[in-house]
Amino acid sequence: MPESDWTRPIASLAPDIRSGRISPLSLTESFVDRIERFDKKLSSYIAIAGDALNQANVATKEVESGNWRGPLHGIPIAIKDNYTTFDMPTTAGSKTPGLSFPMVDSACVERLRAAGAILVGKTRTHEFAWGMVTPPVKNPWDLDRIPGGSSGGSGAAVAAGLCVAALGSDTGGSIRIPASLCGTVGLKATFGRVSRFGVVPHSWSLDHAGPLTRTVADAAHMLNVLAGYDRRDPGSANRPVPDYTATLGKPIKGLRIGVCRNHFFESIETDVERATENAIRDLASQGATIREFRMPNLRYGLGAIFAIELASSTAYHDASIRAGRTLHFQPDVRTLVEMGRFVTAVDYLKAEQFRRVLMEDFRLVFEQVDVIASPSSPLTAWKAGESMVEIGGRDESALAASWRLSYPYNLTGLPAISVPCGFDRRGLPIGLQIAAKPFDEQTVLQVANAYERMHDWSTRFPDTFA
Amino acid sequence: MPQRPSAKPLDPFADILAAKVDSARLQHNLAAFRDVLAEIEKLRQLDLTDVHPAVVFDPASPYEMAT
Repeated sequence: MPESDWTRPIASLAPDIRSGRISPLSLTESFVDRIERFDKKLSSYIAIAGDALNQANVATKEVESGNWRGPLHGIPIAIKDNYTTFDMPTTAGSKTPGLSFPMVDSACVERLRAAGAILVGKTRTHEFAWGMVTPPVKNPWDLDRIPGGSSGGSGAAVAAGLCVAALGSDTGGSIRIPASLCGTVGLKATFGRVSRFGVVPHSWSLDHAGPLTRTVADAAHMLNVLAGYDRRDPGSANRPVPDYTATLGKPIKGLRIGVCRNHFFESIETDVERATENAIRDLASQGATIREFRMPNLRYGLGAIFAIELASSTAYHDASIRAGRTLHFQPDVRTLVEMGRFVTAVDYLKAEQFRRVLMEDFRLVFEQVDVIASPSSPLTAWKAGESMVEIGGRDESALAASWRLSYPYNLTGLPAISVPCGFDRRGLPIGLQIAAKPFDEQTVLQVANAYERMHDWSTRFPDTFA
Repeated sequence: MPQRPSAKPLDPFADILAAKVDSARLQHNLAAFRDVLAEIEKLRQLDLTDVHPAVVFDPASPYEMAT
């Protein structure tokens, strides 16, 4: 496919915007045109910014006058509909009457605006970021299939070339799962690294904000802008922010890649297993050392994240429950929000105790390895309307299976990325997950980038949207 | 404490868990909770007596957020 501007990642566009070879206005016009032409099929956007071209015009004039703000200046970026914005309504994917969210910019949106990004619109989320399906969004690789969730609109929009990058949020995998199922990069940084101020809460100690992008380098550019302390987020970490592009292109020879053979490699589709094993061999071929290990305590993880996520979500929605507003929630979300009442305080606190056990298990592993590699999701995108899938000859709930490999890094708050690592026999994308110790996003990005450079996955677009 | 003669027996769902939904809805939610409970039940078997919860109380945080 010939390279058009809409196919190019931030790292390729930014120098041309800076030099004037591409104007933010013409770039934004091409994306607005693509959204108008293609989003009828995809339904990835819930709102298009009415002033996108005005933003781009301002950016064009700034660049022309020598005031280039950095790599995101003039880049069209989409915002998940659970980030508040002062100029576009936020719905968090809900049509419930009587609910509204502040018309103020969330911290990430503030930072993107300050970096000169063009905010082209808001992408659909599964209601209140509670789910993996994100109706009515379609998967761009097969319109009969789901895009993953809850940041399904962001994953679909990036994969179809309807924005250069997008914001997502991740409570149990909601950035990495749509990234994996749609064939994009998705980065969940360490808990506290990116402010959640202005992101509609789902589960306070599990929620992470972060980007979905076409490439690993673009995720680094996005994190350079998004990372940093924010006193308005009680979970925000007051630590120095390095340059996340600094490790891109560095050799991984000598790095130790951990592979957890239980949990992360149990009950996964054969094509996912094959692609992941190939990716691990690719990393070894670059001089990385592979170290296998097991972590038996992961068998308690699902109960822990259920207890924390359900109880937290129900606490957040308690006023809506008492006011009867949950009658208007989507049926799956209403059930989950009402169900949180069955989690006792003791169960919740045992989950928080277990979480510390798991954090310590990972700390011990990271004395022996630099990163941990696994599939991002045990399965590729499933058909819309399907609730059960067959994995390894066993019928399993698609929703339950989909987050199994991602939620351990929400329980532990560790940084993790999903990077495309091939396609299954139906042509659906597969994601490789790389995780590291707290605040070591640089090594996550280094290893993911080293893998990405061995293949051309990031240059492929679904035919329907090319 | 002795129960007052006029006090109605407590309903474990409506009064203690504040799951105030009609009976059909309660049964629906309980059925949906069955798989979740199976996972939480595994957690209940763990002896975590000496483990401090991961979420830590920080009395200084309101002051830091205000500055």
